[in-house]
Amino acid sequence: MNRRVPLKADTPAASSAPERPTNVLIVGVGGQGVIMVSKVLASLCQELGYQVKQSEVHGMAKRGGAVFSHVRFGHTVYSPTILEGDADVLVALEWAEGLRWLPYLNQDSGTFIADTQHIVPPFACRNRIRGADSGYSRETVHEVMESVANSFALDALQIATELGVPKAANTVLLGTLSTALEFPVDAWKGVISKFVPPKTVEANTRAFEAGHEWALTFDRETRLKEWQEHTARFSAEIARSDVAVTSTLEITEAWCKGCDICVKFCPERCLAMDERQIAVLTDPDRCTGCRICEWLCPDLAIAVHTPASPVEA
Amino acid sequence: MSDVAQNQFNIREYIRENLFPHFMCPGCGHGIALRALLNAVHDLGIDKNQLAIVSGIGCSGRVGAYIDANTFHTTHGRPLAFATGLKLARPDLEVIVITGDGDCLAIGGNHLIHACRRNLNLTCLMLNNEVYGMTGGQVSPTTSADRFTTTTQYGNHEPIFDACKLAEGAGAGFVGREMTLQTPALRDLIKEAIAHDGFSFIEVLSDCTEIFGRKNDMGESAEMVLAQKADFRSVSYGTEIGETFKPRGMKTGVLLRDDRPEYAMAYKRHNEKKLKQ
Ligand SMILES: Cc1ncc(C[n+]2csc(CCOP(=O)(O)OP(=O)(O)O)c2C)c(N)n1
Ligand code: SF4
Ligand code: SF4
Ligand code: SF4
Ligand SMILES: [Mg+2]
Repeated sequence: MNRRVPLKADTPAASSAPERPTNVLIVGVGGQGVIMVSKVLASLCQELGYQVKQSEVHGMAKRGGAVFSHVRFGHTVYSPTILEGDADVLVALEWAEGLRWLPYLNQDSGTFIADTQHIVPPFACRNRIRGADSGYSRETVHEVMESVANSFALDALQIATELGVPKAANTVLLGTLSTALEFPVDAWKGVISKFVPPKTVEANTRAFEAGHEWALTFDRETRLKEWQEHTARFSAEIARSDVAVTSTLEITEAWCKGCDICVKFCPERCLAMDERQIAVLTDPDRCTGCRICEWLCPDLAIAVHTPASPVEA
Repeated sequence: MSDVAQNQFNIREYIRENLFPHFMCPGCGHGIALRALLNAVHDLGIDKNQLAIVSGIGCSGRVGAYIDANTFHTTHGRPLAFATGLKLARPDLEVIVITGDGDCLAIGGNHLIHACRRNLNLTCLMLNNEVYGMTGGQVSPTTSADRFTTTTQYGNHEPIFDACKLAEGAGAGFVGREMTLQTPALRDLIKEAIAHDGFSFIEVLSDCTEIFGRKNDMGESAEMVLAQKADFRSVSYGTEIGETFKPRGMKTGVLLRDDRPEYAMAYKRHNEKKLKQ
């Protein structure tokens, strides 16, 4: 793996200071452990004698909203935030969040580490069929890996699940991150053990090692090929599932009182009020069958009919 | 047809269609609560003949009349008392009470605390719209600070009841709160409440759009529903008057679960013991 960040762990602050601090941006969605990852990194840097600044936004965290955390460390750090195009490492715990923050990565030398896991916000759901592509963040892993030189896309959730600790996906990514920064592996493990619940120290250590190992044995060419095949398979699935989703919407006009709730809440903006103040479906093709209108209609005037789940191919 | 399709929830199987459209005003949150309840009943596979809905008086109480099951529209404030008698006489029935904030906490407050204390296996849904909706918008025990009602023309100054804390304090076995905006979560909470063996109390954050909403300039129906999540509702919600406002400060979900002895079972055991003596 490309060890880009030129820092010597043994002689940090005392040695000739690096010109600029190292910038690590960690992003994901609420509940994934973005803050835990950034705290581990920040404390590690602090333990090793660096000056560290960390700033985070996790306003909507509880509801699965976007969470990001900037960690900057070096001899002297002034601003706590990373500028666009200035992140040395971008760690994404969720794929779409990773793409959202890509412009922050240093385009020439930045390292992109991302979990390929997709967490689709309810309002972006276009396809209710299990396993089908959501249409959310259309860029495929293959495309991104081709365009970002130092990119490491891994299924951290899968790795953690295989170890029996799905919650430790963030620790797997820490393992991968550890190969991009030249800090001693034992120091990483020590800090992690302080941040996770005592009972899970062992599991998290294994998760860390798995992520570390994954990066060390990373072979770009093989991975690219794998993802290419994956993309091809996925496109075929999308083509098939698009045909299968044919939800229909039934509005009982006699029951509608024109409260406008469905019209205002429909994420696809495919409902409208007609001149009689009754809700009508104006654009059936855009309706995804998400049922938000059905759930919120106080007059039980909307029914979304979806076909039974398709037979698994 | 596959199993999936057969088990799909069709609300028309659970309502008295001939009574529709229902009487509630456009956008009234009580209708959303009705859907959540019926979906919960469906998911639990409760037979309509085994379901008894007991409701009080108010727009909330009226909701029961639209359910195609055994319904019992009782008197103002007393649905819990009727339900207690019904459940003791017919323990085989699933008894669900629908009540309002006025119905349950003002005139019926006494019945509520004793129902909690006894812990009889009933489920009580209190549809809280912060107002006496049916009678034209008088202040209720849950009206937030400074809100205008027909009886608080200069804004409400009375402290409010936190209904969930009240139920917890009085001994309810299960206490929860959810808003109509989060309908699927509300459905799931109701399912848990019904499944709990003991007295289950749920506060449903509902909206009186036509009366309370208009009087307080709270926007259109959609804005009111959305506001459940934000600042409007919690101006003083769940906090003392004068305390600083905490957005999203109210807790939702399961607030308490206590497996203390259920009333009917405890009563039976007690009698058996006494008869042996
Ligand atoms: C003994 C008695 N007192 C007063 C009334 C008048 N009354 C009817 S509904 C109601 C209040 C209802 O408020 P709430 O329980 O909050 O229900 P909502 O209409 O808001 O859903 C009152 C006072 C009555 N019907 N019976
Ligand atoms: S019409 Fe209803 S089901 Fe269709 S997209 Fe809009 S809210 Fe969802
Ligand atoms: S939410 Fe229901 S009652 Fe309100 S406008 Fe839509 S269909 Fe009509
Ligand atoms: S008066 Fe208020 S509570 Fe009653 S039906 Fe109308 S909106 Fe609903
Ligand atoms: Mg009320």
